[in-house]
Amino acid sequence: MKSSFFRFSAAATLLLSTAVAGQAETIKVGVVAPFSGPFALYGKQFQEAIEVYQAQHGTSAGEHDIEFIYKDSGGPNPDQARSLTQELLIKEQVDYLAGYVFTPNALSVAPLLDQSETPLVIFNAATSAINAQSDFYLRTSYTLWQVSAPLAEWAYEQGIRDVVTTVTDYGPGIDAENAFVTAFEEAGGTILDSIRMPLSTSDFTPFIQSIREQSPDALFTFLPGGPPTFGFTKTYNENGLREEGIMFLGTAETEESNLQGFGDAGIGLTTAYHYSADHDSELNREFIAKNVEMHPDAVTNWATIGAYDGTHVIYEMVKNAGADGPAAVESVLGLEWESPRGPLTMDPETRTVIQNVYIREVERDEDSGLLVNREKGVIATVGDLGWAE
Amino acid sequence: MTDTTITPKRTGRIAGIPFLGEAILIALVLAAYFLFPYNLAFLTRILIMVLLVLSLDLVLGFAGIATLGQAAMYGTGAYAAGLFAVHVTGAPLPGLVVGALAGAVLAFISGLVLMRARGLTLIMLTIAVASICHEIANKARDVTGGADGLRGIRMEPVLGLFEFDFIGKTAYWYVFVVVFVVFLLLKRLANAPLGLSLKGLHESPERMAAIGAPVYRRLVLAYTLGGGIAGVAGALAAQVTQLVSLEVYSFNLSAEALIMLILGGTGRLYGAIIGTVIFMTVHHVAAAADPFNWLFLIGLMVLGVVFFLPKGLAHLPTALTRLVRGRT
Repeated sequence: MKSSFFRFSAAATLLLSTAVAGQAETIKVGVVAPFSGPFALYGKQFQEAIEVYQAQHGTSAGEHDIEFIYKDSGGPNPDQARSLTQELLIKEQVDYLAGYVFTPNALSVAPLLDQSETPLVIFNAATSAINAQSDFYLRTSYTLWQVSAPLAEWAYEQGIRDVVTTVTDYGPGIDAENAFVTAFEEAGGTILDSIRMPLSTSDFTPFIQSIREQSPDALFTFLPGGPPTFGFTKTYNENGLREEGIMFLGTAETEESNLQGFGDAGIGLTTAYHYSADHDSELNREFIAKNVEMHPDAVTNWATIGAYDGTHVIYEMVKNAGADGPAAVESVLGLEWESPRGPLTMDPETRTVIQNVYIREVERDEDSGLLVNREKGVIATVGDLGWAE
Repeated sequence: MTDTTITPKRTGRIAGIPFLGEAILIALVLAAYFLFPYNLAFLTRILIMVLLVLSLDLVLGFAGIATLGQAAMYGTGAYAAGLFAVHVTGAPLPGLVVGALAGAVLAFISGLVLMRARGLTLIMLTIAVASICHEIANKARDVTGGADGLRGIRMEPVLGLFEFDFIGKTAYWYVFVVVFVVFLLLKRLANAPLGLSLKGLHESPERMAAIGAPVYRRLVLAYTLGGGIAGVAGALAAQVTQLVSLEVYSFNLSAEALIMLILGGTGRLYGAIIGTVIFMTVHHVAAAADPFNWLFLIGLMVLGVVFFLPKGLAHLPTALTRLVRGRT
């Protein structure tokens, strides 16, 4: 009994002491992500990215060793995410948190971050509103506004005037629709129709037919990855929308873990996104080569790069401030660095990275015979446009 | 002349000693508090889940209402308590009442229709109710926050005295007291005429109808009570996590609650507790040890129990006694 009392009071004192510690010590980073179930790929990619970063930059930053602890959050489940985070903070005494794929999971820990003054680097969750809930959120992925709004402006510049938006009816889809519609109408274009398709749709013919009848210059879509994306593009091709000159505009639809599944139907799809594995830079080639060397079956995509850059931010924070949370966050605001995806800046206001958004078209690479997202244009340094919405 | 008076066997009494079970429960909860001071958040989640599984036990184990949609009431209780905390007051106890009412009202209204069905039809309908709730919460983004979750829940101290703390001590005791009170009520109910008639319904609705019991009304009543308890569980989850997401309506939640109940043993209150504690502990430990393959272990465990202890883990002592005595 005595020892358990001791352990308990030890927990309390350790909690207090994290705030004052600063000497050379092992810094622990808790990674909360799905490692099981339908979203397990995220967790796998996060871990791969962290391992690649460690292989390239070592396992210590400044005078501190860095250790990563992984926790399985399953799918969107804020109760689970919150209690795991609490456990990481209290039991494992982590100094940093990272990962968080789903918006509700990331949102549920906001009060914990404020109370424990622990920085959290979001590797994926893409809703603008998260970062406003606590000053300890930093984001190295992107926000839906960040990629959808520039696409709208670009489309208008290309001479596209009428667009039908057709998104899957759930949080991210609606965010993307709002961003695109706002930006496109501001530029002077017309939205003929905004269609929201139920999440469980498998037959897209009625939606595609309705778009065809309205004969817009382009359609903008947002779909969850996997089968819905394949189904939608297949229907788009079969109904001859491409021949009629209705351009396909998307964002994450052609990301690399889906890409080869399209086959030839994917060729010519236009998307705006912040990362393509085909990005033409020495840094990106090295990054991918290292990832494939360490994990032969790995697909490098936006989730990998989000985690890779997130790890970089954590290393920088540890180097600058050790385990001192508020100082660590402060020290990386405005941080600029060159990532495999291009130049990045940590926006001091929104704490989301400012990055290039690329306009890409799916092509078949002549050398490898594989489909790639070839970058056709770049919209330089876009911040989180959804911040003020 | 032999004595023909039948005294119903009192359920929930261990080894015939009154309140022994309750004493063991309190001892275990105390022990867990001191042995795992770092895991209070997780222990609190177990307690909330116990409450949900208890509500399912009342509906399925006692009254024999086959349902895979208990999450409908859980989720409605969670959203009701969450919205109440955001818009009215952050006091926890009124929030619980609101959650219970919301769960009970939904169960009553849907129960009026559902309790006319049986078997597979009933299961399908209960799933449908949960899906409809899910879709409504998804569509009503302005109210519920949609897929981003309902945020902005800030709780006041329990009874104005106990502040919710970072380690989760208050949450743990608060949730335990609520669960314990509901448990006592359920135990009382199990031995009351209503509980016994529900068991009768489980065994044979036709015979109950024959002896003049109002079958349909009893079923609606049981479903409504179960809904109210599930609503309390949801409300607790909303208050502790301070965020409600669409997942409260997920089919997965209903299904996992059912697995926990089957694991522990249906129709027994202690079965609901044992099943939940074991399922969630194994899940937690296995997932921490191997975040990638823990589902495999869970699957094995469930298979093992279903094969060797079809009546659930609560049946283990009886099964062991039989094994030792060599009876089949």
